[in-house]
Amino acid sequence: MPKECILRLYILGSNAASELALANLRDIIAKETKTIFKLEVIDIRKNPQLAENDKIIAVPTLIRKLPKPIRKIIGDLSDIEKVLLGLDIILQNGK
Amino acid sequence: MASKLKSSAPKLKSHDKISLVSGGVEKTPTGIRGFDAVLEGGLPKGRTLLITGSTGTGKTVFANEFLYRGIKDYNENGVYVTFEEHPADIIKNVRNFGWDLDSLIKEDKLVFVDASPDETINKEIGDYNLSGLIERIKYAIGKVDAKRIAIDSLSMLFAKFSDKDIVRQVIFNICDELKTLGITSVITSEKTSDTEISLLRTGVEEYVVDGVVELALIPGQQQFLRKMFIKKIRGVGYRSGMAEFDISNKGLEIFPKIEVDRIVSKTDFKNREMFGVKGVDDAMGGGIPQGHMVLISGNTGTGKTLFGMHFIVQGIRDGKNAVYVAMDEPVEQVKKTAREFGFDFDKYEREGKLIFVCPSLIDISNDKLLFQIVNAVNEVGANRVVIDSISSLQSATMDEEAVRQFLIQASGFFKNKGIACVMNYLSGANFGAAKGQLLAELETNLMRLSPIVDGIILLIFVERGQRVKRILNILKMRGSWHSNNIFQYEVNNNGILLGERYEE
Repeated sequence: MPKECILRLYILGSNAASELALANLRDIIAKETKTIFKLEVIDIRKNPQLAENDKIIAVPTLIRKLPKPIRKIIGDLSDIEKVLLGLDIILQNGK
Repeated sequence: MASKLKSSAPKLKSHDKISLVSGGVEKTPTGIRGFDAVLEGGLPKGRTLLITGSTGTGKTVFANEFLYRGIKDYNENGVYVTFEEHPADIIKNVRNFGWDLDSLIKEDKLVFVDASPDETINKEIGDYNLSGLIERIKYAIGKVDAKRIAIDSLSMLFAKFSDKDIVRQVIFNICDELKTLGITSVITSEKTSDTEISLLRTGVEEYVVDGVVELALIPGQQQFLRKMFIKKIRGVGYRSGMAEFDISNKGLEIFPKIEVDRIVSKTDFKNREMFGVKGVDDAMGGGIPQGHMVLISGNTGTGKTLFGMHFIVQGIRDGKNAVYVAMDEPVEQVKKTAREFGFDFDKYEREGKLIFVCPSLIDISNDKLLFQIVNAVNEVGANRVVIDSISSLQSATMDEEAVRQFLIQASGFFKNKGIACVMNYLSGANFGAAKGQLLAELETNLMRLSPIVDGIILLIFVERGQRVKRILNILKMRGSWHSNNIFQYEVNNNGILLGERYEE
């Protein structure tokens, strides 16, 4: 049974780190086939209230909304191994 | 405007709804009691003040009151950026001061930017910056059209991220942004070695903020004293150095130094403030001249307190309101004693003619006491002040020099306002003097105070013929005729009764 993973990526306009984070994330999503991803990309400038609710300070910030518990990863996600670890995805595959 | 700031009375009122301009810098009053007097009007508008201090020194209360007073008293809405406490906790905590933040939030006058720690696990992978914070702050400012912002505290922001350079960068950017938007800001920072070094090294204190105030808890004899050090305020005048402050259930109260005003504007030898004790006023040439300070020196039981009470009672009979500074005894005891002589101090108090100032005798300070006296005088419109006693001041941790300074400052204020003051002084020396040497043993302490005070009344016990007699002499009355006689006096249930000239 594939696991569901709801992600939200906060970016600000178009800066290098945000672009890079998005590209890295898309890469991970493409590779990881056993999980069903739902990704929402949110520009803080266009949606500041969401950023307030999620207490976003750093850009870019990736939030794993589901499964619980909520996890936050900040940065351009350039180390894919660490990102997988952070999202707890390897563990999910092992089951 | 500038000259208005020089007089002591108006500048102590903290809620003047005015913007003050000095040297081209527009000031905005904080509304924090006493603080605007220290700043000679308020904070420079649109600038940044850094509040540092260790745990428990009152930084968060300061940040809160700055925003609260801004909204309530000056119609300046506020943004509260919290890195430390959760908004719900802050709201709950300041309810103790009677500040209802919930309503302000509902009315769109206050908004939180919540960056307090949460449960989620944070991981840093790769490059990032903290522009999300700036966006949220800008959004919040726009939401309530804020004129003030409080950021509490930088130390917690530093603790959140591993890359301290990124944090420093965002502090620079935030301050820059706030300056552009013209928002007056208060930023707090824990005075721990880490943050301090971090701030110092990058010149946040030096270049980014316009003012630095340090709050401190300093051990006194029996309790901690709160002190505030104004380290710098760029572009405006302020009273230098240190001020004592308190946190009460009404918030912060700072006790600014009262400036010694050398303009002796209101002393008049024709206006005499009488004791209403038959014979005593005559011996003084009619009473205490307006604006003069008279010391009543005597041993325990000579009736110094009673003289002070007469002075209050006669004043109120003459339509002159009064302030009674009770340091020797609790106010209730003073009132009880007064009742024994038929003086109803409770009634005077109810009628708004008399105010008691009762400072704590532990760790008393010049500035605070003087501030309390000045406030009381202004509140009741006093022409007379009784301080019972100066000796208590001396024994309550203030050293002799501090007492001297207090008297000099007080004297400046009284003369400026035309207030006649009676202050009691417990002197052990004038007891049982030998025949012909009644005034022989004046204490050196008393003599050191002599140049500051305008008059001295000596009360002396003498032992003659198996009896202790009380005698009185007007030792000094600056600029005025007075009797040189030594008088005998008695205390009965109507008070002091002056008798005949004492002769041996």
